[in-house]
Amino acid sequence: MGIFEALKKKFGFGLEPSVPVLTARSSTMKKIEINPITRLEGHGKIAIFLDDDGNVDDAFFQTVEFRGFEKFLQGMPMEEVPRTVSTVCGVCRGVHFTAAMKASDGVFGVTPPPAGRKLRELFFNAHYVEDHSVILYALGLPDFVVGPESNPAERNVVGLINAVGADVGREVLRRRGLAVKIFELLGGKPNHPVAAIPGGWSKQLNEEERRQIEEWSKELVGLGELTLKVFADVVLKNDKYMELVTGDMYRVEVGYMGSVDAQDRITYYDGTQKVIDSQGAVIGTFQGKEYLDFISERVQPWTYLKFPYQKKIGDWKGMVEGPGTNIYCVGPLARMNVVKGMDTPLAQQHFEQFHATFGARPVHNILAYHWARAIELLNAAEKCLQLSRDPEITSKDTWNKPTTCTGEGVGIIEAPRGTLIHHYLTDGKGMVTDANLIVATTHNNAPINLAVKKAAKHFIKNGNVAQGMLNYVEMAFRPYDLCLACATHTLTNGQSPLAVDIFDSSGNVYKTLKNF
Amino acid sequence: MDNKCVVVGIGNPYLQDDRAGVVIVETLEQEGLPCRTEVVYTVGFEVMDKIRGYERAIIVDACMLGNEPGSILEVSIDDIFSTHALVNSHAITLGTTLKTGLLCFPDEMPADIRIILIEVKEIKEFTRQMSPEVEAAVKTVVDRIRALVAAVA
Repeated sequence: MGIFEALKKKFGFGLEPSVPVLTARSSTMKKIEINPITRLEGHGKIAIFLDDDGNVDDAFFQTVEFRGFEKFLQGMPMEEVPRTVSTVCGVCRGVHFTAAMKASDGVFGVTPPPAGRKLRELFFNAHYVEDHSVILYALGLPDFVVGPESNPAERNVVGLINAVGADVGREVLRRRGLAVKIFELLGGKPNHPVAAIPGGWSKQLNEEERRQIEEWSKELVGLGELTLKVFADVVLKNDKYMELVTGDMYRVEVGYMGSVDAQDRITYYDGTQKVIDSQGAVIGTFQGKEYLDFISERVQPWTYLKFPYQKKIGDWKGMVEGPGTNIYCVGPLARMNVVKGMDTPLAQQHFEQFHATFGARPVHNILAYHWARAIELLNAAEKCLQLSRDPEITSKDTWNKPTTCTGEGVGIIEAPRGTLIHHYLTDGKGMVTDANLIVATTHNNAPINLAVKKAAKHFIKNGNVAQGMLNYVEMAFRPYDLCLACATHTLTNGQSPLAVDIFDSSGNVYKTLKNF
Repeated sequence: MDNKCVVVGIGNPYLQDDRAGVVIVETLEQEGLPCRTEVVYTVGFEVMDKIRGYERAIIVDACMLGNEPGSILEVSIDDIFSTHALVNSHAITLGTTLKTGLLCFPDEMPADIRIILIEVKEIKEFTRQMSPEVEAAVKTVVDRIRALVAAVA
């Protein structure tokens, strides 16, 4: 049985002559065609192909994408869009809200007054603290605290709490809860914010609330420092883990994109997008609609998720890493690579330690995403504290009333997991006629595939596939903090389950590993 | 409103059958259910935040466990805290959230946590229209929760 037949038997797809074929390199693997397997459950699926010697010839990661959300937005008043898109993802609710809110400023041709902008930034940085802390403690750190080869029953947040103690877990959760309180106080509604208005922010802050946020923010800075200490104690001081962090099996050499402020420092809410190539050379900078001059999206026949690439570096060159590649990634590691420094003092110290550890820039070691995320957690907490002490933050002047409708707006932000672009067209009354959303996981699609392939090649040798391999492969994509069908959180036998299918050189299923 | 009972609906209000939990809680709110109600769009730690401090929590969510669409399941935390369900890439599971709450805040978590799940039929596209099977199940669960709340009121 050939590979195509094996895949057909396994996944039940049919041959579509109009779809170009993907050609693998192996002499025994002439053609591979994989239609999208499902767009329903939010499954991530990895297909790994072995050569005649039982080593990895190729590997692919497949996931799902938004399912008609842009269509759903058509006909909706632009003012309603931020609240609506906050439901795209239960985790990233604040980021879609913020990107759409910024786009609505463009649609109505208005910019918020300083106090309005600062309230938005305070809200967004609190969201960063909340999001990064959950991702680190629930998803990233268990691999290290509990151990990458430990029983999956223990390698999770519950196992982490058992390892570090309930007191520490309670304190982390309590402080994270303070970030949520800031998010909700400013957002105007529990969980899903409503305070966005084109040209400003509807929630004004009184002095009592400001003082409260200042006190909470002090505790968030403590959470950031605690998190970096945990990371240092568990990872940086562990030679075995540092071999993984700095090793080639988790190194993906691509370009990077992220926002910078006027001083070339990190910024999340608003800035200029800076693009560098895999060697660190600046390809260019852009704002707003100019993203269309930089980013193209490649469609592959085996997945619905597109593959963005930097077209300033040339046409699609394939999923390749190294000098000349036009694949890029976004997120915490990308931001560490594109910025000159952090805009807060404590985070700056850790930024310098980060780069001193790795030496050459850009840093291509993807497990460093976790470290970068911890530094950003501290940075966002410091920003909350700074903004809470800003004399303008309690100004009543939080809104510039729109008087026109331009019919087009682009909102670009640095979401916790990477650059998020919302682009809207409207009619003259501000009703949405078209929408385009590019999320971080889409930007990172090609690097994720490369990372999975590289880890698989390292950990699978001579047909020896140990059960623990699944986690080492998962560790290759977990740093990117994928948004797998995050629009839904329907309870399944394993939320966002992952299946790994391993095929031998004849295309027969050699082994299947699942985490559900 | 006292701290005896809270009803939490989980779902995406714009995603076909996934919106069931949200619709149920909104329906009960309109009826003036005599207890605290909450709607969340995620199964993350927010759920734990919403139920801490109450004596009883009723949580309703959609599920996709391979049953007949519209099936209603009442499960325990342990039922949904399956070993491998904890390993995922982005969100944390409802079981993980509740287990974490019990570990870190044992004195604040409700002594009685009821989890009601409705098996979905369609969650492919963004729409406010649920399938007939889930629509019917929603009515049944509304009645069930109303009775549960009345029993402790």
